[in-house]
Amino acid sequence: MRVISIKISGTLLIASAILMLPLSTAVAEDQTVNRMIASQCAQCHGTNGYARGSYPDLGGDEAKDLADHLYDMKGEDRPSDIMDHQALGYTDDQIRRIAQYYSTLPENGGD
Amino acid sequence: MPLTRRSFIQMVPASAAALALTSGAKAAEPIHHVTVLGGGFAGCTVAKYLRMWSNGEIAVTLIEPNSNHVSCIMSNLILNKRLKTTDLTFEYNDLQVKYGVEVVHDRALRIRGPQKQLRLKNAGWVNYDSLVVATGIQFDKIPGLVPSKVPHAWIAGGQTNNLRNKIIRMPDTGTFVMTIPKAPYRCPPGPYERACIVADILGRRSGYLDGTGNVAPRVIVLDANPGIMAEKGTFTSAFNDLYGDIIEYIPDAQVESVDSDNLIVNTSQGSFAGDVLNVIPNHGAQNILKVSGLTGDSRWADVDPVTYASTNTLFQDVYVIGDTQGTSQPKSGHMANAQAKICADSIIRTAHGLSSYTEERLQNITTNSACFSPITYDEASWLTAVYSYNPDTGSMGLVPGSLGEAHNWSSRNFNDMFTWSDNLFADTFK
Ligand SMILES: Cc1cc2nc3c(=O)[nH]c(=O)nc-3n(C[C@H](O)[C@H](O)[C@H](O)COP(=O)(O)OP(=O)(O)OC[C@H]3O[C@@H](n4cnc5c(N)ncnc54)[C@H](O)[C@@H]3O)c2cc1C
Ligand code: HEC
Repeated sequence: MRVISIKISGTLLIASAILMLPLSTAVAEDQTVNRMIASQCAQCHGTNGYARGSYPDLGGDEAKDLADHLYDMKGEDRPSDIMDHQALGYTDDQIRRIAQYYSTLPENGGD
Repeated sequence: MPLTRRSFIQMVPASAAALALTSGAKAAEPIHHVTVLGGGFAGCTVAKYLRMWSNGEIAVTLIEPNSNHVSCIMSNLILNKRLKTTDLTFEYNDLQVKYGVEVVHDRALRIRGPQKQLRLKNAGWVNYDSLVVATGIQFDKIPGLVPSKVPHAWIAGGQTNNLRNKIIRMPDTGTFVMTIPKAPYRCPPGPYERACIVADILGRRSGYLDGTGNVAPRVIVLDANPGIMAEKGTFTSAFNDLYGDIIEYIPDAQVESVDSDNLIVNTSQGSFAGDVLNVIPNHGAQNILKVSGLTGDSRWADVDPVTYASTNTLFQDVYVIGDTQGTSQPKSGHMANAQAKICADSIIRTAHGLSSYTEERLQNITTNSACFSPITYDEASWLTAVYSYNPDTGSMGLVPGSLGEAHNWSSRNFNDMFTWSDNLFADTFK
């Protein structure tokens, strides 16, 4: 529910919203940390996950789908593509955070 | 291009503060001011992300002597004319217009840490709140080296065109001699990639590669390091098989001096003459950091990778990112961009009075690098790696399994290379 309301207001407001508002969830996760780690994908997948050319967009993906995709690539027996090696670079919790963050962004990068 | 409020609104609907800045309305008073030195990969990324992530609360001034930036990334493709300089030239317009970065064309000459002052060539002494140093590299002096006659082409632009023109004019079966600097240097696979590109240019031109010519041109690669420093599998096979008759690879060759008129380089492995000489000198942080005392006795500026703040206690609120900083992470533009984001996040936290050292943040500091290397006219390889912060050692370490290189060079990789660079360039400059 929280995610949905944030999504409407766009990327730039997430940080301040989370920093200033007390969260109703039991464990408040630092969204700026999730944003920081997710931004490490942007060199290839575009600012806010809005990619140019043939690389897939990440913004607006369902968190579970995106995370599962990365877990799959991380689990490849014989990593061969760039993405297999990228996925191996992150812990499961980091992948969950990255996926959670991209799920709050609009599909078109909000740009 | 005249900018109307309307066109601006279409570009950045989300950034209210940036809107206010350019629409003539009075901008909200910024909570902090950051001065960034150097408008390359590190400097432009930090400027953009500081503005974007602070929602315009942080004012950013970028100081850069040149009116635009020519990317080193992909610049070996200027040598074989796959690209033109204009394809790799980036203006600062987007940073100014889309993100509200103030861009000042000036050159930094000195930093006074204790006074938090900066001396600029035109503007003289100015104060700073926080300073991000992203000034790239400077070459060591080599006796006899005249860069116009013996180009490095390791800072892209005029030097790259100079080298291209020299290659165009050299005999088809002539000798190209290049030197590789001692690690750590900018772009670990870059020099080996260059050797392949030049071998391909001359190998085609002479007809040697397709069997229509029977005299092999020569590319002599003099490496200051004990062996190939990146993508060892790829380059060993390219040097030994694909270009086996053309490339001669000589490790442990330290450059001692250069005869720039007769095109001879003297090294610890002997003297080598070429029709074209491409000496890439050893390099380190820019001289201004040394004369200011920021680097101390180091070649590069030491930083804490949690924040990229300088570890030199005389330089409070001074951050160093990109090739200039001294962590053991590879010196690449992709990596410079990655570090800039960690640094931007930390500066924003500090401006809000928040710590950068929360357990949650320390567990999630990661960077990554990628390099694509053209090996032939239309095939490329790649290399990638992810690094993460280790709280026990206080340093960034390679994440096991994340280091990977292409199994072979291919045209698919060649095409992917353009998508990758397009995205990296946009994430940095646009
Ligand atoms: C041939 C080649 C191929 C490469 N390929 C790749 C690749 O495939 N992938 C990859 O990730 N990287 C690659 N690189 C490396 C990449 O180009 C560098 O790592 C990257 O440019 C470093 O960014 P930076 O911001 O630290 O420095 P730079 O991008 O060099 O920017 C430094 C900026 O600071 C400015 N400056 C300098 N002195 C001052 C001063 N006193 N005051 C103000 N401004 C100043 C300069 O004008 C410049 O604009 C390659 C490099 C080369 C040479
Ligand atoms: C060095 C460039 C690079 C980086 C960095 C990168 N990716 Fe990718 N990614 C690719 C490429 C290229 C593809 C296309 C598929 C392929 O070739 O493996 C891809 C594909 C994907 C896919 C779709 C996979 C499929 O099979 O459809 C997802 C999801 C993805 N990336 C997520 C991420 C996330 C999340 C990150 C950050 C942790 C990230 N990527 C970082 C290059 C990159």
